[in-house]
Amino acid sequence: MTDPLVSMLLALADDELVLGHRHSEWTGFAPHIEEDVAFSSIAQDEIGHAAAYYSLVAKITGDDPDRLALGREKHEYRNAILCERANGDWGYTLARHWLYDHADALRLEALESSAHEELGPLVTKIRREERYHLLHADTWLKRVSQGPVEGRKRLADSIGIAFEESLGLFEPFEGEQDALSAGWIPVSSSELRQRFVRQVAEKLDALGLPTHMTSHAEEGAEFVASSSGDLIASDNGERSAPSADDGFGGRRGRRTPDFDALWEDMTSMYRTSPGARW
Amino acid sequence: MSDVATLEEAVWEALAQVPDPEIPAVSVVDMGMIEAVAVTESRASVIVLPTFTGCPAIAVIESDVRDAVAAVPGIQDVEVQTTFTPPWTTARITNEGRNKLREFGLAPPTGTGPVLIDSIGLPRFAVCPFCGSKNTYNENPFGPTPCRALYYCKDCSNPFEQFKPI
Repeated sequence: MTDPLVSMLLALADDELVLGHRHSEWTGFAPHIEEDVAFSSIAQDEIGHAAAYYSLVAKITGDDPDRLALGREKHEYRNAILCERANGDWGYTLARHWLYDHADALRLEALESSAHEELGPLVTKIRREERYHLLHADTWLKRVSQGPVEGRKRLADSIGIAFEESLGLFEPFEGEQDALSAGWIPVSSSELRQRFVRQVAEKLDALGLPTHMTSHAEEGAEFVASSSGDLIASDNGERSAPSADDGFGGRRGRRTPDFDALWEDMTSMYRTSPGARW
Repeated sequence: MSDVATLEEAVWEALAQVPDPEIPAVSVVDMGMIEAVAVTESRASVIVLPTFTGCPAIAVIESDVRDAVAAVPGIQDVEVQTTFTPPWTTARITNEGRNKLREFGLAPPTGTGPVLIDSIGLPRFAVCPFCGSKNTYNENPFGPTPCRALYYCKDCSNPFEQFKPI
């Protein structure tokens, strides 16, 4: 079984790397030049955060951070499926950016008091940078939600789609119970998910955007990781296991066709010449 | 030169000559990136704090710091350690560093303390490094590097960049 600390750090790192790569696909193509700059800069931040997490993993396992980022097979990545989805239109891009950064903010708030002596200060630093991402996402959501009907509708539809999959960010990672016991992360994924759903519902409501999917999520089953790493519903759950297309499974290495193209592109240079030095 | 205190001062002087690769007008000392210097006999160890986590210049800075310290007479061995403990913030930029940033055409970060994480929202203006006007607005909280934001001066009609407060 993977070291629970490594498992946790890889989930964090893979989320940031994969979404960072998606954001970078707007470089040169965003609908506004300032957004070209913004998404490129956010991408650079996220990939930088991933690099810092991979370096912590490398210190534990003796691996190479570049190999971790770019030299693994597809099924070895542990990012949430939300992060690998193709950018789609600007509405989906903004919806996912907003949901992801609010979910990440809650996770980072918890990780700042991690028992791991290097992770806490690193997360303090990352949070200072992430506040600009939140500012960006909140500003756009407010602007589009108060704008013309078509933009508002496309944003609301995208939030509906992305919200379902955003819950996959709180799928427990392998060995989470052990990580909680060790204090690597002081708050469980299930508790973070509840905070997230509450926060999203409040913020969407304040913007006059639909919130019906959040009430459904709060009624939903609590998933816990079994000893094999698979997800099973806890006693109070309604569903026996997450279906294959509901945005879960990413933390166990389930990948969608969207990931295939991303992986080919993201790792092509590394695979051409593994271990090359610049 | 066998006096360790003097040797340590010489190391600091050498570091004061190492430019930030992306903003060559300021040194790594002006930027507050040097957390500690320790000299034991002929061995120097330097602790460097990166400004932004994703700063691509980190490896270049490590290598420049190593070269500069190795060139100090009396130093045989150099260890450079990069760490996020404690986290660097813009509050660490010295007053001299702030003046040099302004002369370089980059508005220094607003405020002198670290920015509170929960205070979402940018300062309404940055002071224009060209004409000193506060009649400016933020055009983009992101810029050409992770550490810069874009502003526009309504008095002298110049776009300018600010070192982002973090």
